[in-house]
Amino acid sequence: MDSQIGAELAICRRLVGARLRGQMQYRGSFIAQIAGNFGVNFVELIAILILFSHFGAIGGWDVGEVAFLYGLSCTSFGIAHLLGSGFSSFSTLIHQGTFDRVLVRPVGTLLQVLAAEMQIRRLGEALQGVLVLGAAIGFVGIEWTVGRLVYLPIVLASAVLLYVALFAIEATVCFWTTQATEVLNAFTYGGSDMAQYPLHIYDGWLRGLLLFVVPIGFVIYLPSLYLLDKPDPLGLPGFVPFLAPVAALAFAMAAAALWRLGVRHYRSTGS
Amino acid sequence: MITARGLSKSYWVARHRRGALGAMRSLVDRSGREVRAVRDISFDVAAGEIVGYVGPNGAGKSTTIKMLTGILVPTAGEATVAGYVPWNQRKSLASKIGVVFGQRTQLWWDLPLIESLELLRFVYRVPVDRFQANLTEMRSLLDLDPFLETPVRQLSLGQRMRGDLAAAVLHEPPLLYLDEPTIGLDVVAKARVREFLARINRERGVTILLTTHDLADVEHLCRRMIIIDRGRLLYDGSVEALRQRHGSHRTLVVDLEAGATIDGFVRDGVELVRADGPRRWLRFDREAVSAASLISSVVARAPVVDVAIEEPAIEDIIRGIYEGGLRAEPAVSE
Repeated sequence: MDSQIGAELAICRRLVGARLRGQMQYRGSFIAQIAGNFGVNFVELIAILILFSHFGAIGGWDVGEVAFLYGLSCTSFGIAHLLGSGFSSFSTLIHQGTFDRVLVRPVGTLLQVLAAEMQIRRLGEALQGVLVLGAAIGFVGIEWTVGRLVYLPIVLASAVLLYVALFAIEATVCFWTTQATEVLNAFTYGGSDMAQYPLHIYDGWLRGLLLFVVPIGFVIYLPSLYLLDKPDPLGLPGFVPFLAPVAALAFAMAAAALWRLGVRHYRSTGS
Repeated sequence: MITARGLSKSYWVARHRRGALGAMRSLVDRSGREVRAVRDISFDVAAGEIVGYVGPNGAGKSTTIKMLTGILVPTAGEATVAGYVPWNQRKSLASKIGVVFGQRTQLWWDLPLIESLELLRFVYRVPVDRFQANLTEMRSLLDLDPFLETPVRQLSLGQRMRGDLAAAVLHEPPLLYLDEPTIGLDVVAKARVREFLARINRERGVTILLTTHDLADVEHLCRRMIIIDRGRLLYDGSVEALRQRHGSHRTLVVDLEAGATIDGFVRDGVELVRADGPRRWLRFDREAVSAASLISSVVARAPVVDVAIEEPAIEDIIRGIYEGGLRAEPAVSE
């Protein structure tokens, strides 16, 4: 089983390499696009800073702490957006009927779709997230313990997994309809935007949605309570901040199950 | 190699609604109509056969192939291909089959052909020595060398098809599906594709199921053909028997000079089937009358501006089956 996964990853690496060589043919626009993506997100950050200049704090969190949330969400979203590029352009694969050829190859469909596309320009998003996260960590002055040092990368990885799963679900919907799938951007882009603020500022149903439907709260906000040593205003049990990997894995498994269901509903267009 | 029993595929075509709200409503409200693309089709293909799967556009040819590769899950029916149930064991089946879709390539659009072939070596986990041996053979059989380093998007349709054929057999599948492999190709390119298929069937014993609406493909390659029309199996039997009953007719189309006429022209095995202005359609039995002798006897009778010969189209043969009530030979040989 392990060697099976290893072999599939090796194939994946080859496919991604092939895709990148295709992209590198247009090197000039490539660098411009990375810079562009970086810039767009920067404007977002400035909007948050302006907010602070008016209110001083958001839900009892100061500018450094919110910047930490922002950096965490932005970094993981950027990496997920990069890794999950194949999902963002999946509707084209369905429209053109190219998914047919994915299905007649002896490699997993999820892996092939992921490897089919890698938008390097999205590195700009992740890069900016990393910068903000680094600055926020310096600004807040986290008390580093072994636990926190170990947990931060786990939290990042969990958040990446959760966002990739979100992109996967968005793509899965294409098996049923390719009309107006942009509506689902509300869950991906919207989700990452909401994760940039402390969860306790949201009310009832929205908070429930972010915890129990799309568990973004479990991978960004709750672990941050532990990492930043903040009190939990929601009064949840003490182990809850450590559930990030569990929540992300459960969500990813649900997304994978949905994907398998979608593949069996694939209708293949054209002749 | 292939066993299909009662294969059926129906689609539910939802009523189309516009815009984002419409799309949301379509998800909930499933009103629409059912399209039955394939209905209750059964047949067997033995190892080493080349079978032509023939029918007009929209008959359900591609849908059948897609069920037998595992791309589509049938609405009803059963099938085993190379020992696997395609839609349940799709990944295992994938390394036993080669697939060529005439209208879309399996190759990487931006990469040189050779790089696509090398990627497929990894995808199918072909040992290096087997890959090299196969590649060498394909390079000479399909004459790939002139465009091996050319990005696929710059290849002509004929070159691309040759690349796709090489890609489909590099992992030595015992079964090859081809969906309209000659579509859009010129006469020379078509002949080359047919020659290649005949050869790998003969030399490697590869079983081939090909869909086409070009009867010439079938005549050149297959001893057996299956005809489907509007999703139903119409005929499963020898190409020869069908040709003898319906396909031995060709039509000579002549344009006469203004004012000329061939009214009253009579010859055995020849029938004037249509007249329109100066143009006449003469249906003739090519076993009884050669095209050359027919043309010369027409020319001897009246001045002719232009001639053309039409091969029977699949639609004509299907019409013949409906009209003549040709009994389909037993579709399934137990």
